[in-house]
Order: sequence, then structure tokens, then C-alpha cells
Amino acid sequence: MGWMSVASAATAGAMLLVHLLRRRPVTAFTKLWLLVSLGLLPIVTAGTANIAGFEATQARTFCGSCHVMIPHAEDSGNPRSFTLAAVHARNDSFGKKNCYTCHEDYGMYGYVLTKMGGMRHVYLYLTEYRSMPLEQSKRDIRILKPLPNANCMHCHTTTAPGWLAIPDHASALESVRSGTLSCASVGCHGFAHPMTKIGKEL
Amino acid sequence: MKLRFPASEKLLRVACVLALIALPLMVWSLFDPTVWPVLVALSVGQALGTLSFLLFLIAVARDLQLKQRLARKAAAPEP
Repeated sequence: MGWMSVASAATAGAMLLVHLLRRRPVTAFTKLWLLVSLGLLPIVTAGTANIAGFEATQARTFCGSCHVMIPHAEDSGNPRSFTLAAVHARNDSFGKKNCYTCHEDYGMYGYVLTKMGGMRHVYLYLTEYRSMPLEQSKRDIRILKPLPNANCMHCHTTTAPGWLAIPDHASALESVRSGTLSCASVGCHGFAHPMTKIGKEL
Repeated sequence: MKLRFPASEKLLRVACVLALIALPLMVWSLFDPTVWPVLVALSVGQALGTLSFLLFLIAVARDLQLKQRLARKAAAPEP
């Protein structure tokens, strides 16, 4: 997808430069030339670059490109870490998109809602957290609302006999399903990231 | 004073320049997929690209209108 975007942009750019440098009169041929270089090729570029851009927004490197998220991204990519985030990142189904896979809203409009939430993050980063020291951000920046258990149950069904055979699961079944007891809480599977709850537990 | 729209040639040149700015912005995020390049590609790049295409369409529509007017004038009987 990326090469198609670059190729169409380069071709369109070359065609536009030829038009600008040669100073052609506006004939039918010129219009056709410009229809391709200002319309068709840029549309291909925009479409493919958009798809590649949206795919890039799901990658861990993208999430970690704001300095306040570097510790989270580094921990989840650390092969020696045993936090929930790191353990999941080592699973091929999560891989380099593990931030998105866990934090994505579950449901039909999950993608759109997640991206809207992401725009809120960008806005807050610009207005409040851009110059926040990393140490302070580890303590002060926390998830807006607890990660819903539905996101965990996306993969870990609560109806599987193997899951129900674990006494703690069976006894907390209703609380887990209703979301009153978080899977990622102390006493259950622990916090997903090592630094999010220091001093300020939700 | 009546504001005049620039001539088609000028309009097309502006469209070309805008597109030449928009295209690198659109593909920048492919080489550096971090927050700002992606945001710029999806907002400024798209906006400039769309604007350049709109200017092209305006220029073409104006030319067509002019051609129609000339054809009508030519078809009209001499006074």
C-alpha cells in the first residue's frame, strides 16, 4: 500500500512540475494532463496514505510517540517484562498492535469511537501534558475510565469450561461480567502497566 | 470595486503549487508514522489536496461556461 502511495505521489508531482515549468496553454490536452495529476493520482495517494496512516495509528510505536506514553510502550515491548501488557504483546494476535487491541472499544463502532478517543488524547497532550516531566506523567496520567472487562472478554470468554473451572473465576463470575470487578485489578491479574497506578489507585 | 477571479492559467498554477505541497504532506506519514506526521497528512495534506482539485474544477467549469457563451454569441443572428 505504501509503495503505491509514494509512486502515485511521485508521478503526480513530476507531471505537475512539467506543467509548471513548460507553461503550457490551457488546451484539452493540458486539462486531461491536470485531471490525472491533480485529480486521479492524488486521490490514489490520499486513499492509500489514509489507509496506511490509519493502520499506523494502531501500532505501539505510534502510541509511544508521545513522550508520556514511552514507559508504557517500552514496558509492553520488553520481552523480560511480565506485566499484563507485555505478556499480551508477546502473543501474535496482539503483537505490535497490542495497545490498540486491548484499548479498542468493543462493538460495531469500536474503531470510530476509539479513534475519537485518540483525538481527545492528542488534544489533552497538546494543551496539558506536552511539557509534563516523565516522572510526573507516570504518577498523574491515568486512563480516563477503567478498562472494561468486555475488552478482555473479547478473547477470554467467561463461558468456557476451562475458565469456569478456576474457583476464583467461578465465584466472581457475575462481578466480572457486570464489570464491577476489573480483571486488571490487584488480587486478580494485576494492573496492565507497572507505572499507571503509582500512588493513585482508581 | 468588483473583485475579479484570477485567470484560468493562474488558477491552475496555484492548484499545481498547492498539490505539490499537499502530496509530500500526504506521504510523510509513511516514512515517519508518528502522531504529528499522521495528523498533518490526514488534515492539512488532505485539505490542500482537495483545495487544489477544486481550483482545477473551477477553472475547467469557467472555461466550459466561456465556450458556451462564445458559441451562443456566434449562433446569434447579426443585427
